[in-house]
Order: sequence, then structure tokens, then C-alpha cells
Amino acid sequence: MTETNCANKQMTLQEAIKKYVKDGCSLTFGGFIGRDCVAAVHEIIRQGIKDLTVIDDSKTDMMDLLVGAGAVNRWEGAYLGYGAIGLAPNIRRSVEKGIPRKIELEDWSNAGISMRFLAGSLNVPFMATRSMLGSDIMKYNRRIKLMNDPYEGEPIALVPAAHPDVAIIHVQRADAMGNAQVFGFTGNDENKARAARHTIITCEEIVPTEEIRHRGNLTLIPFYCVDAVVQVPFGCHPQSCYGYYAYDVLFCGDYHEAAKDRDKFLKWLDRYVLSARDHMDYCEKVGWERLHKLMGMERHFNRIPG
Amino acid sequence: MSENGYTASELMAIMTAKEFKDWEVAFVGIGIPLVAGITAKKFHAPNLNIVYESGCIGPQKYRVDFNVGDSSAADGALCLTSEWRVFSDMQAGYYDVGVLGAAQVDKYGNLNTTAIFGDRDYQSPKVRLPGSGGGNDIGSNIGRVVVMLRLEPLRFVEKVDYLTTPGYLDGSPDARKKAGLQGNGPVAVVTNKALFRFDPETHEMYLDTIFPGVDVEEVKSLVGWDLKVAADLKTAPEPTPEELAAVRSADPANLIMGGAAARNSLAGLDEYIAITKKYSGIL
Repeated sequence: MTETNCANKQMTLQEAIKKYVKDGCSLTFGGFIGRDCVAAVHEIIRQGIKDLTVIDDSKTDMMDLLVGAGAVNRWEGAYLGYGAIGLAPNIRRSVEKGIPRKIELEDWSNAGISMRFLAGSLNVPFMATRSMLGSDIMKYNRRIKLMNDPYEGEPIALVPAAHPDVAIIHVQRADAMGNAQVFGFTGNDENKARAARHTIITCEEIVPTEEIRHRGNLTLIPFYCVDAVVQVPFGCHPQSCYGYYAYDVLFCGDYHEAAKDRDKFLKWLDRYVLSARDHMDYCEKVGWERLHKLMGMERHFNRIPG
Repeated sequence: MSENGYTASELMAIMTAKEFKDWEVAFVGIGIPLVAGITAKKFHAPNLNIVYESGCIGPQKYRVDFNVGDSSAADGALCLTSEWRVFSDMQAGYYDVGVLGAAQVDKYGNLNTTAIFGDRDYQSPKVRLPGSGGGNDIGSNIGRVVVMLRLEPLRFVEKVDYLTTPGYLDGSPDARKKAGLQGNGPVAVVTNKALFRFDPETHEMYLDTIFPGVDVEEVKSLVGWDLKVAADLKTAPEPTPEELAAVRSADPANLIMGGAAARNSLAGLDEYIAITKKYSGIL
């Protein structure tokens, strides 16, 4: 929730991360292993921000980087895996061996944690769900409460509202005022933006407010939820951004292979994140030609109407 | 590729595809489950609609996806919405069938996708797995669930280390109902060697169908409890050329079924893009 609405909330990625993401704060990210705000996570690592709590549904790539960089203290979430590619190497190394540091885990299901963001967005203390009943998720996570429905008497699980300090959400386009429009699936983004204390929008393109008004149905997150707007083209790479660029599965596979070994991971982190001045420098390292090929491939399948 | 001209993964996908019916709405995960869904659409269930947890309903697949949130998951979708909405629709009973993978399954069809403890515990396990994702939600809410995993040592266990997704819990009558769960629980476990089903009274998993060339003792030796065998044990028919063509058209470049080896065999991004475009079309 923004403190002051104004016509222009644009800032640089460095400024937005420095202003809102602090040591020890809690974060959530938009997207769903697709349309993830990867560039913002790189910037968090570059700024050396530590002791983070991440509250999220399924956000493997960014969690694997943050955990490998030693930036995370605690995770509350549902899924940390690479889909068809495999398990998450840095997550495994942290949880199984405490390298570089042990993260505290709190497991939820995707529907369970979705209800936490919904409760947060509704400004109610909890939400009821029929998920997780009878499972070990409830056994190990004592914040899920079993109760009998006061009306009908049947068992139901309660989950507490999530109110992360900061939500960072990448969208296809936004205006300077902070109206964020999303194409494709929307994950839990509308609720994350409303549940969080502060919301940073990163976007592929900044468009005039008149263009937003032209297609108001596409505005998933209205200006009053938003604190900062940052244009970050190719901000999801190697993840996909619907209508803009396809998933770079080969780059992701190479990362996954490198991350299995701690030293190779650190070299990767140094090459693509720590030694990159900013996101444009990262794009330079990945190669603009490669990025444009991914854009060409995505637009072969999905072209967003102008 | 076996001497029969097909792989175990292909047979798994074909056997799973047979569990889908036309006009059903299926909640399907990425990997071989999705290949099974597309195979069913190509074959006997052309009007099967697939839902992904990212919020994609009824996509018309033009290319394979590697993640449920891959932009390809939205290709030609009937409805693009939110994650919490599709899970709410699941809870409200709109989805007919779910397909799940797992690292471990027990004799009552409970699944573990969270951690293999070894001699350690939840916070410091031997192997940390991805976690529930939407798996628990599917197992808790959908009427019919099909499980897919390979029949390998230590996967079929008396009791799972961590019960991520409920099957029939302790197997007792009404265990699911008493816990507050919806749906009837798992109906089939499809592996690379055999297909298992559940006794309607005891809820215990039994061997229902064996795949060509596999023998019962081999299956029993890989299961961690005294496995019961159906009185009318069936042998799966060899897949037909049409079925194999359907399964291969669902993953034309073998990028899902072939795993890292298939991806590494590509010369680079240009070849990947060329292959994807070459095979693009309604999968």
C-alpha cells in the first residue's frame, strides 16, 4: 500500500530495492515459475541484503539463487523444484547440509498459501480451506489450525493471513502512476500486491495512462497498491514472460547443472549477478541476440494485441 | 528404447492416458503427466480440458512446456485466470481427475513429495524434495486421482517418511471423510512395470495389471509390503502404433521424456527454437 499517490512512481531498480527491501524483511514475488521478477532478485543479491523471509507459492529459480547467495533465513511456501528439469540444488545444499547456511522451512500447499494471500488481501485474520487436512503438512506446521466448522460441524483447516513487507511483481506493462496490466495467467499476484505492506512493480514496458484506460480489464493491480514502478525489459530471463519472450530452457538447464556444485554455482553467481553492474549489464552478458531470439520465439506463438 | 520399440516412459504415458475420459476436466502437472493428457486428447478424449495451477484453463497446446508457469502453458487457453481461482474451482468440485507424481507411495496411496528423511528428520532430511506444490490440494479435493512414479527400490514403502498428499490415510473406512477430505482418493498407480489399483473395502494397493515382459516376483520384490495380486491379474496389451504415434506427437522432440540428455544433445538455442517451431501446431 503506497503512502502517497502521485502521477509518477518511477524509479531505478537500485533505488526501489534500496528503499523497500531491508535486512530481515519478508518478501513475496509475483509470477508462477514464469513471469518471475528475476532481475529484482539479482539486485537484492548485489545489494547484499540478508536474513530475508520469503513467503511464496512456487518460486524456485529465485529462491535457489537467494538461498545459494546466503540471503534467506526462512521460507514459508509450497514448492521448490525445477519442474521437468529436476530438484533445486541450492535448496538441497542448504536444507540437507547447511551450506552456505541453514534455512528454516515451513511447508504449505499451493492452495493453502494462496488462501493466506487472499486473507491478507481481504484484511481478515485467516481463511478456511479443505486442503492439507490429515497430512503431515499440518503435523509439522502448527500455524495451520484444525477446527470444526461452527455452522455444520465438519473439520476444516484455518490458515493465517500473510502480510509480507514487500511484494515484487513483474508485469508486461504499467503506467508511471502504478497501474499494472498482466497478460496470461495471473498466479496470486492481485492478492500479493494487496496483502503486502509495499509493492514494487517491475515491467517490460511503461505505457501512457491513456493506454491503460483503453483496456482497464487488464489492470490486475491498481495504482493505490503500488509504491514503485521500474521498467526492466527482459526482467524474467531465463523465465518466460507471456507475449514478450519464451522460457530459456537451455540457459536454465546450464544453471541447474552448474548449481549442483557449490564452487561452480559461486562462479555462475559472480559472472551473471555480482560482477554485473545492473540488469542491462546482465542482458549484455546473456547476449542481446539470444534475448531477441527468445522474443521472436514467444511472438511466434503469442502476440499481445497492441 | 526397449527391444519392443517403445520406452517404459512411453508405456507409462499411454497407460495413464487411458484413465482420462472425453469431456473431463483434468488437473495435470508438468512432465509425463502432461504428455499423458495430450496423448488422451489425440486419441480417445479429444475434448479433455487441462487445467494448470498457475491459472491456465483449457490451453490448446502448440509446444511442450517445462513448467506450469511457462508462457507455453497459456497457449490458446480458454481462460487465463489466477492460481487461487483454479484452486477454488478445484475445491468447489469442478475438476474430474488429477494426475500426480511422487517420490514415495505407501500401501494406502499416500504420497511423499516433501523429504526423504533417511536417519534424519524434517528440518534436516537426507533428501529435500520440492514439497507439495498443488499435489496435496489435488489429493485432498479431486474425486479421482492417478499417481505416476517409477517402480524402483525404496519408492513403494509400508509408510511414507512424510505424508504430503493424502491417499486413503490409515486405510480405515471413512478415514478421508473423518479428516474432512473430499473425493474418493487414488484410483490407480501407474509405473514403468505395472499398474496398481486399490481394494474398495480395505483400500490397500494391489497389483492389477503387469506390463509385457515383467514378472510378478520382480514387482513384489520392489514393493515394501506383502503385495496382494488380483485374482484376475491382467497383462497390459502392447501399445498400438497409433498410441505410440500419439504419445510421440505430444513430445515431438523428446525434450520432456528424454530429460537433460535430450536437451544437452541440442547444438544450442537456435536448434531448440527451430525444433519447437518445426513441431508447433495443435499438440
